[in-house]
Amino acid sequence: MRFTHALAVTALLTLGACATRPDPSDPEAVAEYEQNNDPLEPANRVSYAVHDAIDQAVLEPAARGYRYVVPEPVRLSIRNVLANLRTPVVLLNDLLQGDGERARITLGRFMVNSTLGIAGILDVSEDWGVPGHFEDFGQTLAVWGVGEGPFLFVPILGPSNPRDLFGTAVDFAADPLTYFGQGVVVDALNYTRTGLTVVDVREALIATVTPVREGSMDPYATFRSGYRQRRNAAIRNQEPQRGQGQNTGSGVGRGFGLTVPLR
Amino acid sequence: MTTLRRNLVLGAAGLGLCTAISPAQAEIDPARATAFIESAGRDLVAQLNSTAGTATQRRERVAAVLRRAIDIEGTGRFILGRYWRQASEAEQRQYLQLFDEIIIRNLSARFGEYQGVRFTVGRTQQRSEEDVLVTTQVDRPNSASFALDWRVAEVGGQPKVVDVIAEGTSMRLTTRSEYSSVIQRNGGQVSALLTAMQQQIAQLAAREGR
Repeated sequence: MRFTHALAVTALLTLGACATRPDPSDPEAVAEYEQNNDPLEPANRVSYAVHDAIDQAVLEPAARGYRYVVPEPVRLSIRNVLANLRTPVVLLNDLLQGDGERARITLGRFMVNSTLGIAGILDVSEDWGVPGHFEDFGQTLAVWGVGEGPFLFVPILGPSNPRDLFGTAVDFAADPLTYFGQGVVVDALNYTRTGLTVVDVREALIATVTPVREGSMDPYATFRSGYRQRRNAAIRNQEPQRGQGQNTGSGVGRGFGLTVPLR
Repeated sequence: MTTLRRNLVLGAAGLGLCTAISPAQAEIDPARATAFIESAGRDLVAQLNSTAGTATQRRERVAAVLRRAIDIEGTGRFILGRYWRQASEAEQRQYLQLFDEIIIRNLSARFGEYQGVRFTVGRTQQRSEEDVLVTTQVDRPNSASFALDWRVAEVGGQPKVVDVIAEGTSMRLTTRSEYSSVIQRNGGQVSALLTAMQQQIAQLAAREGR
């Protein structure tokens, strides 16, 4: 009895959290609804508000503090090391996408940057004209023809969808560093890597998020559209040639990468 | 990207092009588009880096360059999409006027950030019969360079910018999403968007005054 009651309440809540479908007699409204692909919009907007509050209270101040305290060359070195550590995941996804050329580039960069680049601190390969790229399992699934599913806004992680969320989990599980060694030192190193990744990603996003938050009449709608466009560009491997400071390849916050300099 | 999604996006863009941009659009020569971006970009950078005159005079000079280079009416109509036809004639006029001011104020509110800006034109690709994508790289002192792509089409016999793509994100599509969301969340009223646009301009003007 109690179970059915709970079920009914859940069903009601879920129904209440769905966006209203437009009048089917208005084909343009239906087309727009389908293009937005956001049936959970009311719930997503609540998540966005939660995310925004956490971000303004914790993540953004941490990122600004990091930018203030750590000089730019050191931040760049940290970004290089983090990107180099992500090589196994990128390589695996290059291969799963059947892209031998990009897999070869990933492997070559790893060997050069880990040795001549002193454990990945310097991006020697980029200076040689071989810039890096990122891949994740969400992109691999897209290449395999898996649809993205409905738009989701996840507090702390940011804009996403079921495909990309699942991809993030697979990438985490596939990362050999997740399982490497044990003990206090290894734990400390893993926490350091995670912590640095979070501040590094958020620091790179300052230039993106601040103008949208200040300038957009509806930041949620802007982020939703920007995320989808960035992801589609990444899936087609149309990443910017140089200065890709917007993407640290951690999987977190990716696709926020809209720079918005002119709007 | 799945084919379906690509078709949807292309279809949406195509629909927008047909309904929004004046039928005067014709085939464009990539070399002409590149030369146009080079010259418009040079003019813009010169105005951004010149500190002569008052803030209003500088804004007017930048505005003149932008109005020459951008197809403000076509882009504005594309962004308003299906709501263009729902709007009254007076609303359409007011919308285009506000849209023009937002484009200009967005740049003039950030003059400080653009001191010392430089740009280099990269490759040019023919995207369709009607438009060409010119890639540029923008460098500012003390910040990471970024890629900015310009979609150029022939409008009324002149090459004009019809979209700006920053790191893979089309301003035209992002703004369309933003504007339509504002209208939808305010009972489908175009007038609500116009009010929000006026507020946005006031905010940008206040920022410029700082």
